[in-house]
Amino acid sequence: MAVLVRLALCLIAVASAAERLHMVIPAGPGGGLDGIAREVGRALMELGLVEQASYENVSGGGGGRAMAHFLENAARFDSPLLVNSTPLLVRSLQGLFPYSFRDLTPVGALVADPGVFVARADHGPSHWPALLAQLRQNPRSITFGGGSVRGSLDHIVLALALDAAGIDAKQVRYLPYDGGGKAMLALLGGEVDVLSTGLGETVAAIDAGQARPLAVTAAQRVAAIAETPTFAELGFELVFANWRGVFGPPEMSADDISSHVERLRTLRESAAWQAVLQRRGWEPLAADGAAFTTFLEDQEAQLAQTLRKLGFAR
Amino acid sequence: MWEGIATGFATAFQIENLAWVVAGCLAGTFIGMMPGLGPITAIALMIPVGYSLDPAAGLIMMAGVYYGAVFGGSTSSILVNAPGVASTVATSFDGYPMARRGQAGRALALAAYASFAGGTFGALALLLFASTLAAFATAFQSPEYTLVLIFALSSIVAFAERGQVLRSFAAALLGLMLGAIGTDQSAGVQRFTFGRLELTDGLSFVMVAMATFALAEAFRMVVAGDDETPASKIAHARLHPGDAKAIAPAVGRSSVLGFLVGVLPGAGATLASFFAYDLQKRFRRGDEADGARGVAAPEAANNAACTGSFVPLLTLGIPGSGTTAVLLGVMLSYGVQPGPRLLETAPTMFWGVIVSMYIGNLVLLALNLPLIPYIARIVYLRRSVLVPFVIAFSLLGVYFTSLSAFDVHLMLGFALAGLALRLGGFPLAPLLLGFILSGMLEENLRRTALLADGDWLFLLDRPFSLVLAGACALAWLAPLRRRLSRSAHSS
Repeated sequence: MAVLVRLALCLIAVASAAERLHMVIPAGPGGGLDGIAREVGRALMELGLVEQASYENVSGGGGGRAMAHFLENAARFDSPLLVNSTPLLVRSLQGLFPYSFRDLTPVGALVADPGVFVARADHGPSHWPALLAQLRQNPRSITFGGGSVRGSLDHIVLALALDAAGIDAKQVRYLPYDGGGKAMLALLGGEVDVLSTGLGETVAAIDAGQARPLAVTAAQRVAAIAETPTFAELGFELVFANWRGVFGPPEMSADDISSHVERLRTLRESAAWQAVLQRRGWEPLAADGAAFTTFLEDQEAQLAQTLRKLGFAR
Repeated sequence: MWEGIATGFATAFQIENLAWVVAGCLAGTFIGMMPGLGPITAIALMIPVGYSLDPAAGLIMMAGVYYGAVFGGSTSSILVNAPGVASTVATSFDGYPMARRGQAGRALALAAYASFAGGTFGALALLLFASTLAAFATAFQSPEYTLVLIFALSSIVAFAERGQVLRSFAAALLGLMLGAIGTDQSAGVQRFTFGRLELTDGLSFVMVAMATFALAEAFRMVVAGDDETPASKIAHARLHPGDAKAIAPAVGRSSVLGFLVGVLPGAGATLASFFAYDLQKRFRRGDEADGARGVAAPEAANNAACTGSFVPLLTLGIPGSGTTAVLLGVMLSYGVQPGPRLLETAPTMFWGVIVSMYIGNLVLLALNLPLIPYIARIVYLRRSVLVPFVIAFSLLGVYFTSLSAFDVHLMLGFALAGLALRLGGFPLAPLLLGFILSGMLEENLRRTALLADGDWLFLLDRPFSLVLAGACALAWLAPLRRRLSRSAHSS
């Protein structure tokens, strides 16, 4: 049976004209975006959907350099893809670079990392409503922290969550750290009371009983922290996820797009990809082609509104 | 724990894991030796190999690449004044002059022995205290970091030769200002970027270091027009009689200091090497002309610190530096989540990696000592050969890390400015120090200000802060007092 499957896969490989995938990663090796690119490439090769996958790390300029590099060089490659995530939208809204997702062809989103608010296990508010009550009395009584500068993702998610409860996010104290790791260290050391971060970055500390999740921005409860309420359950209208997905160059034929989308679908359904999700602890996200574009437009609107309230959008 | 250590030995001594330690160390030292290429590049280059191994072997190999690159990094600092990583900048202060005096082999050997001692001490300390030290990492917060960085800045006094104090301060200020270029960490605003994407992340360390150290020095050789090759051409790796005894206390002090500073996330190895050098200079006794201790101290410290940086990575799952962040990425790709539970979930890997570091340091020493006589010959090349070599490698190093022609142009501009400063009698070491510390200092200072919220008295409740503030006052005021008493004597 296994032999047959492999044979079938080989045939598919031949049928798909043995493409060579080239992925541009707007971050250095070893980070989250690098991880997803290499896992996708590896799984696609394992499945025989591409013949070869190569990777190029172009960090700098908040992702802008990778974008410029991709737009300039895409034509040189057989099948070029740019990996990206939510900060793409944030940075184009802030005008940090002259590009937006509209300069690319959205191909598909693969994983989502919901935002989560955590307190130290033995310190700070015990649950989300308690936190809100405390903030209503004195907005500066709780110190928030995050792994990126003001006006970027962690800060925006905090603003979304406070805004949903009618609290002015500009009033609260937010300390930016250089990366989620250092922010977590500040939480454990007691410098900040509550951390706004992605689930992927905190799951280890939660598992170890060091950090206590208060609320998660996913639509449904997440398996990794099954006891943590979603914002919908708490009575707020808030769903947010940091997506990670792939984009093609601006000019792509409809055939090209559909073959890419088809490939991602096969990938998602494969056991190999399920194993990757399991091993990495990633939440799957399925949005392809036009659906991905709509998803991006919706999230962009959500982000734009929050950024304006925080005074960061142009 | 002893059980764990035993498993560690069993894992590390498996023949294939031994082979991977050697392979990792080998790759690491050679990449690290290249001017401009440091541990991050070395690890990035080895990632594809690492991905194809099982977790324990892969991590053992990658760790070998890391400390191998730190070990090899001193080579380019000493021989051509081209520190490829911030943590070997301090090594070049005394190492490069020593090489110019014709003692390149000795300087490299000193660095190798001191690195070995520091690395071995670090591995031992990691083995014994890894879990206890995690608490130390969390006790250090923004106010403490701010004070430590202010303390580190005071070491510019140590670089200032007679009559250079003011120029030294000016250079440090310039460095601090250069560090302000880029995205403001607190408000997310662009500063001095002139709308250029290449500048939004600030200037890269490698670019500034290569420009102001390696390139400016190469240009100076050209401008000075001297073809003086060092008088003696000793390339062998032998130490002078009495060297071992002379550097032993410095190495011991620096290893302990380095490891402790390395545990702190941030610029562990860099700060450690500066502190060690500074300590050495402040308490120097009859070492002014020689510099043996000035080479040994920072090397012992940066290697101990690089091992120390594994404490927060392994026990808390928190990367303290760019390099350990890449290692974290590699671990995650294996499905291994480092953190407090790593000891339960992957004990073989945890202990195996630590024990392998001990073996790795032995390997590095055995690997490097025989090579020194050959590598050291570089210094004895004619200027007309050496200068183009240094220029080519510096440019390549910067281009490889950034892949941007803009950085290369910028680098040439900086090198010319650096040359002008040098000819004007401004020391460049304080400039680089100011540049390295600038971002961290600003970030922590501003966080401290936010924490204070207008009420700075909270600092008095923090015992750590008080001690550090005292140390800062001492470090900044002591030279002043010495100077005052000296002028009182002479008048």
